[in-house]
Formats: sequence, structure tokens, C-alpha cells
Amino acid sequence: MLTVLIYGAVTSAIFAMLAVGFTLIFGVARILNLAHGTFYALGAYSAFALTTILKVPLLPAAILSVAFVALFGIVMERVLVRPLRNSALAVLMITLAVALTMQQVLFLVFGSQSKNVPAFINHPVTIHGVSVDGQRLVALSIAIVLIASLWLFIHRTRVGSAILAISQDAEAAQYMGIPSNRIFSLVMGLSAALAGAAGVIAAPFLTVRPTMDLVPMITAFSVVIVGGLGSIPGSILAALIIGYSETIVAFYWNPQWTGAISLIAVLLTLVLRPSGLMGKPISL
Amino acid sequence: MRKRDWLGAGALVALLAALPLFLENRYFTGVFTVCAIDGIWAASWDFFSGLSGRENFGHALFIGGGAYAAAFMNGKFGFNPWWSIPVGIVVPAALSLVIGFPTLRLRGPYFALAMLAAAAIMQQFAVIFWQYTGGTEGIYGMSRLIDSSLGNYYFVLATLVATVAVLKAIAASRWGRILRAIKGDEGACEAAGINTTFYKIASLALSAGFAGLGGVLFAHYEQAVTPDDLDVFLSISVIIMVYVGGIGSIWGAACGGILLNLLLELLRGLGEYRLWVFYIILMLVLFFMRGGLVAPFWQRLQGSRA
Repeated sequence: MLTVLIYGAVTSAIFAMLAVGFTLIFGVARILNLAHGTFYALGAYSAFALTTILKVPLLPAAILSVAFVALFGIVMERVLVRPLRNSALAVLMITLAVALTMQQVLFLVFGSQSKNVPAFINHPVTIHGVSVDGQRLVALSIAIVLIASLWLFIHRTRVGSAILAISQDAEAAQYMGIPSNRIFSLVMGLSAALAGAAGVIAAPFLTVRPTMDLVPMITAFSVVIVGGLGSIPGSILAALIIGYSETIVAFYWNPQWTGAISLIAVLLTLVLRPSGLMGKPISL
Repeated sequence: MRKRDWLGAGALVALLAALPLFLENRYFTGVFTVCAIDGIWAASWDFFSGLSGRENFGHALFIGGGAYAAAFMNGKFGFNPWWSIPVGIVVPAALSLVIGFPTLRLRGPYFALAMLAAAAIMQQFAVIFWQYTGGTEGIYGMSRLIDSSLGNYYFVLATLVATVAVLKAIAASRWGRILRAIKGDEGACEAAGINTTFYKIASLALSAGFAGLGGVLFAHYEQAVTPDDLDVFLSISVIIMVYVGGIGSIWGAACGGILLNLLLELLRGLGEYRLWVFYIILMLVLFFMRGGLVAPFWQRLQGSRA
């Protein structure tokens, strides 16, 4: 029981990190980023490359990886997405193309075998008689700290207010002199950094493979749809629901069925409450 | 359709029908068969998404649905291969209702995301439940619809022509006008008393049925199905074909499918790298030729003569 509680919390925390970034860039810039899973994969792979190939110590390697992913996100937004922003279909196409291209790049550079990324803590930790591997607890705490600091950043700083203003009414915000393009770059960077960090901290207990981006991305946007497109608290709540449902199904029934959970959750949400748990009401 | 369009279409079909006779070679016949199947896929995508503006990012769900239905009917249960066709049309159409009903009522990106997710999850299932689906190996040992490869090619080509003709006819009718109106202003359509949700879902089911038919033809041509038939790459390839052909014209999409597949065949020497050519074409089209290549080219040709 306690095992499910802890493992579910870790899974949910990773989903939340992915979903918050995905919903943030959608809420602010109306960009549906199908390359979001790529950020996650890139985070894991750069951590692998830095620690295992270049022998950089883990902590600086983790920070460098996150910075690299953020930079990748910003450049992608600037070069590929921004010229096409007026067409939603074009944005979806180009980001999906980026995702598939990067999958190919990772495959060519690192091969198709799965890689091991070192963990911050290797030994298991015992909580009330349940042994949990340490890295999962580290991942959980880092996730909570990062999401909490993002929340504070958005609600307590001037730049954060600008982000909120654009997400509420982009045109009005621009009339007030908010440089929306610069904010978009910033938000893309934040969103990419968060997904990259999720990749870095989850990599030690996952299989790091070139095709690792797709499933987390699908889970991320399922979480986002269940929580309500554009709502950060909604995403966190939905991440907990989907994360725990997957853990429970994996523990008590069959891990093979976890993939179906997010799709079922999405379809149920869209039938019963299309705006999601905490999203703005949308027109039918 | 004007007289010139009929002539152009007739000439194109005649060319496609004659080519394998001149290139007496099984390999080329096979290439053209796959080209024509791609044309069916692209045309079926374009009928729904091109006309209504609701982008389908998981067309592979329908293609693979049809292909796997055929593989189960023929490869597993040993039915006559012709039974694959009705089953391979009905199964994807049913899948399209499951996804379409919750998502197409809504505005916003829900449909695109749900289709992408559904196709990816089905692909995962095809790998996970390997006892039934053969896992990554897929199901093989299916029989052909028509044994002679030339005969099979003509059957596929005829199916392509029929697909384009039917979809084009519907697109030119009131139904097609409603779909185009939905793309323009859905609110106005509803205000005019049109049940837009019905038309969207019915059109998606039709699109899924034709995609499934293409999937069946492909499965019987390859005599096997693999999880690649459900891959995202297939979905995005179909969209690129439509983009190259010219979105919303249906026949242009079919030509885009044929052209892109020929190009891919010519680039076979590049191995894995030829996929990059796809992405480069995609970027060129997205950045410089939003209208596509084939259909606008034909229109310009007309304009200069008229």
C-alpha cells in the first residue's frame, strides 16, 4: 500500500513536470508543442553524454543538460515555430517533424540500445519498512521544488505577471507594452528546461532510448487535457490522478495496460467535462 | 470539373496504367502499387482534414486498423482474402467513431491530439500483446488478393481512381460544401441550422473507411503487417503527401502521395537518411509553398492557357 503511495507520487511528479511545461507554452503562446517529449529525451541523453562519455560530475552535468535543453527549446521556437505561428497546423507539423528528426539524430549518434544514466543516490532508502530506491525520492523532491519555484516565479515576479497577462489576453498585454515575443522565448525556455530536468532525474530508473520521447509526450498532453488546457493547477491535479491510476493498474493488475489509461482518461474527460478539471469553460 | 480537368485526369490514369507495361519488371510494378496505395491514404486524409480543417495526426490508426483487421481475418483465421475488404473498412470506421465522437464536438486541438495519442497507444498495444499480434514481427504469411502482380496493380489503381472519384463527388456536393463551411466558420454553420457534429463525424468515418481500405490493400500486397503500419511516421508522411499535393483538392493529395513515394523509391540508396529528405520537403512546403505543389501548378497551367 505504502509502496503504491510512494511510487505513484514519483510517477505523478514526473508527469506533472512534463505537463506543466506543455500547458504553460500552450496557455501563453498558443503553441502546441509536439516536440515536448523530445526535450525530455534530450535531457536524459545529454546527462548520459556528459556523465558517461565526458566524465563530468553528476551535479554540473545535470545543470548543463537542463541548460542545453532550454537553449534547444528557445532556438527551436525562434527559428522554426515563430515564422509559422499564424497556422496551428503548421506549428503541429513542424514540432512533430522536430521530434521525429531528433529521434533519428539520437539513434544515429547513440544507437538503439538503452543507456544507463547515473543516479544521485544509488542505495535504497527504507520508509516505514518499505524500501524505495533513493533516486526516486530525489526525483520527487526535485520535482516538487522546481514546480513550486515556477509557481512562485509566475505569481510573485514582474516577469511572471507579464506571462500571466499574455496568457489572459495577448493583444491587450501587447498594448500595455509587454514584449510578447521575448516572453514566448522565455516561456519556451522554461517549458523545455522543466521537461529536460524531468528527463535528467527520471533517466536513472527509466530506459533511455531514442524512442523514449513519444509515450511521455502522450501522457503529458493527456494530463493537460484532463487538467484543462492552459491551467497549471489543473495539470498538477490531473498528473496526480493519472500517475496514481497508472501505478495502481501496474501494481495490482498488469503493467501492460498503463498505456491505455491516458487515452481512456482523455476520452472520458472530453465526454463528461470537455474543459478539463480546472480549465476555462470551452465552447462545445 | 471542366473538360480540361477530365482530360488531365484521364491522361494521368492512362499514364499510370501504361507505365508498368513499358517497364516490364515486377519491381517497378510493386513500386507503382505502393504509390497508388499512398494515393488512397492521402486522398482519404484530405477528404476529412483538408476540407474541414480538423487536422488528423493519427491517420495511421485507420490505416493500421484496416491492415491488422485484414491480417487477423486472412493471416490468423484463414478467411478468403476478399473478406478483408469489408472488415478492413468497418473496423477503422468504428475506431473513428470512438475517437471522433468525444473530440469532434469540441473546438480546439483536442481531435489532433487524441488521434496522435490513439494511434501511438494502438501501436504500443500491437507490440505488447504479441501473443495475438506477433509483436514487432507482426503477422505474416497472408495471401494476395490477386496473384499476378500486374493484376494486383490494376486492382489497386482502380481502387485509387474510385476512391478519388467518390470522395471528389462528395466534396463537390452539399456535404462537401458543409465541410468547407465548417472550416470557414463553424458558428455560422450551426446558426444556419446545420448539425455540424454529424457531418464531421460521418466524414471522419468515411475517411477512416477509405484509409482502412488502403491499409487492407497494403497488408495484402506486403503479405504481412507490422506495428510500423500504426507509426507516427506514417501519419506524418500522409500529411506531407497531402501538403505537397495541395490541401483540400483530394486529387492533388493523391498525386502528392504518388510523387512522394516515387521520390522515396529513387532515394532508396540513401538508406535511413532518405527520411530526412521528407522533413526537408516538409519545411520547404511549410515555409515557402503553403498551397502545395501539384494542384496549384495545374491551376496555373490552366490560367496561362485561358
